Amino acid sequence: MNEQQPKTAPQKYSFEREPAKRVFAAELRETRIHFKDADDEKSPSYVLLPTGERCNRIFAVGTLTEKRKQGDQNLFYRARVVDPTGTFFVMAGSYQPEAMQQMARIEPPSFVAVVGKPSIYETPDGAFLVSVRCESITVVDKDARDHWVLDTAKATLDRLDLDGQTPDSARARAEYQADPAIFRRMVYDALAQMKI
Amino acid sequence: MDYSDTVERVSQKIVSRGHTVDKSRIEQKLKQLVEEFGVPSAEAERTVTNELFREFGITTEVATGAGDQKEINQFQNGEWVTTEGKVVALSSAPSPAIAQTGIFADKSGAIRFVTWSKANAPLMEKNKCYRLESAVVDEFRGVLNLKIHSGTVIKEIESLENIQPDYTPIDDLSPGVGSVKAKVIQEWDSTHERMLQSGLLGDKSGTIKFVIWRDGDVEKLTPGSVYSIFYALVDEYQGRLSLNLNTATVIPEDEDIEVTSGETSFSGAFVHMAPGSGLIKRCPVEGCNRVLSRQNYCPVHEIQPKFVYDLRIKGWLDDGRNARELLIQRENVEKLTGINLDQAQEIAENNPLGMDEVFLRMRDQVLGKYLSCRGREIEHRILVSECAFEAYDPAVLADLLNRAGGDE
Ligand SMILES: [Zn+2]
Repeated sequence: MNEQQPKTAPQKYSFEREPAKRVFAAELRETRIHFKDADDEKSPSYVLLPTGERCNRIFAVGTLTEKRKQGDQNLFYRARVVDPTGTFFVMAGSYQPEAMQQMARIEPPSFVAVVGKPSIYETPDGAFLVSVRCESITVVDKDARDHWVLDTAKATLDRLDLDGQTPDSARARAEYQADPAIFRRMVYDALAQMKI
Repeated sequence: MDYSDTVERVSQKIVSRGHTVDKSRIEQKLKQLVEEFGVPSAEAERTVTNELFREFGITTEVATGAGDQKEINQFQNGEWVTTEGKVVALSSAPSPAIAQTGIFADKSGAIRFVTWSKANAPLMEKNKCYRLESAVVDEFRGVLNLKIHSGTVIKEIESLENIQPDYTPIDDLSPGVGSVKAKVIQEWDSTHERMLQSGLLGDKSGTIKFVIWRDGDVEKLTPGSVYSIFYALVDEYQGRLSLNLNTATVIPEDEDIEVTSGETSFSGAFVHMAPGSGLIKRCPVEGCNRVLSRQNYCPVHEIQPKFVYDLRIKGWLDDGRNARELLIQRENVEKLTGINLDQAQEIAENNPLGMDEVFLRMRDQVLGKYLSCRGREIEHRILVSECAFEAYDPAVLADLLNRAGGDE
């Protein structure tokens, strides 16, 4: 039903933290829509994942394959973290000194766990770039990476199973017009690579 | 008119449910309805069947025009129902589109109801009983609601008896409406100006957060006291339940009840290690134990050069849906990081970064890894009693492959 629903009193408290969504690189790359729930500066901003869930933060584990230091006054790192489906473009800048120091100490190739905020840039020629502003990056082992692939496969399938039934899922279906089978295939292919 | 076929059908329905019935009695009833009261024979058949079913205590679904008459615990999403119950709570309407909202209860359960303004329905009064014909059961975020719209017929009826609800163990509560007998085991600082009180309620089975909003003549609960709480709203936010007591009837009980230790379990990725983790210094004054600042300063006992070292990790565990704050104490910190208190002290004393070096080494051991832990929840934070890194489980892979490939 689309009619207005009864609301109970506000339920959100300062001790809560935005969860870090599990999303494969190939899905994050397709993300185009970003929004805020309210106009005030303090309200969190989200991207809408094509499989149908809002996302303020991600947790990803993959292989750091490349890192580059850039900038003069405002030094920052640009890094590529690869999962079974594609590449996360990770940035660590002076606004997150802890992440930058962590990045400085890690040499590719290594398995890394990244916590960060997704952001979408539209280039002047109309292309979209989705990157992850790094909050932390640490070296982990292959076990953690494999664990993450399963975790992310499950989370992605759970989102696909929502099937337009939540407001975010319905919005994603309408805005992206993407075939859910493509993401199901992505999950399958990611899992298939784990078989040895 | 020949009633033998009809009599046979009715009789068969009774006999097939294990009862015996006199066929001449069926015929007599049918005849009376049709010939004396002009009831169409199909309707007469239905009436006699229902009458006999009631007599033999046979329950069955009999369709009526306004939706089946049902008890609240039988409601299903999307159906039209006729139901009888009592208005046990009214709450202030949250928007002009809504004329009235509250809780409707019978002996089987309770449900939130909403009356749309455009329904132009008569407003119901608290503690009165009503028959609602053609109301609609609707689901919102997994919780059933009863919608009263312009086609709903509302009739006040005589007071129903025995609708006092049963208590639900806290651990068995689900979103909707619930009644518990519980003890106030914690009172928390208000985080919102509209909040009168929040804290933790416990019974033998579990604990749950409660909230009372400033609205009308609500009163605070007394920590340590036991209450019977009828018809509270069970809300869900980010997978966690809480009780909103504003709709509830709250009765103080003059007894003590057994309360759980309140342990919860949570698994996820350790996504943030907070400052103040690692090697810390505590105030040595007996009974204080506060964490000292870098300058060895206790907020109560000032400078304490003879501090005591300790280990702890504060941070956030995140399963992708919810993030939970953790406090891990020394024993578990040593287990997770492989660094014990003596080693940590040695690192701090022999390293240019001092205690920061301990923080960094511990962070590198824990951050980004999957952990599962158990502990008591105190003021929104899990005080961890047990925790371990989660191992990769290849058995999950086969299940997920099936799920992902299932639609092909
Ligand atoms: Zn002290």
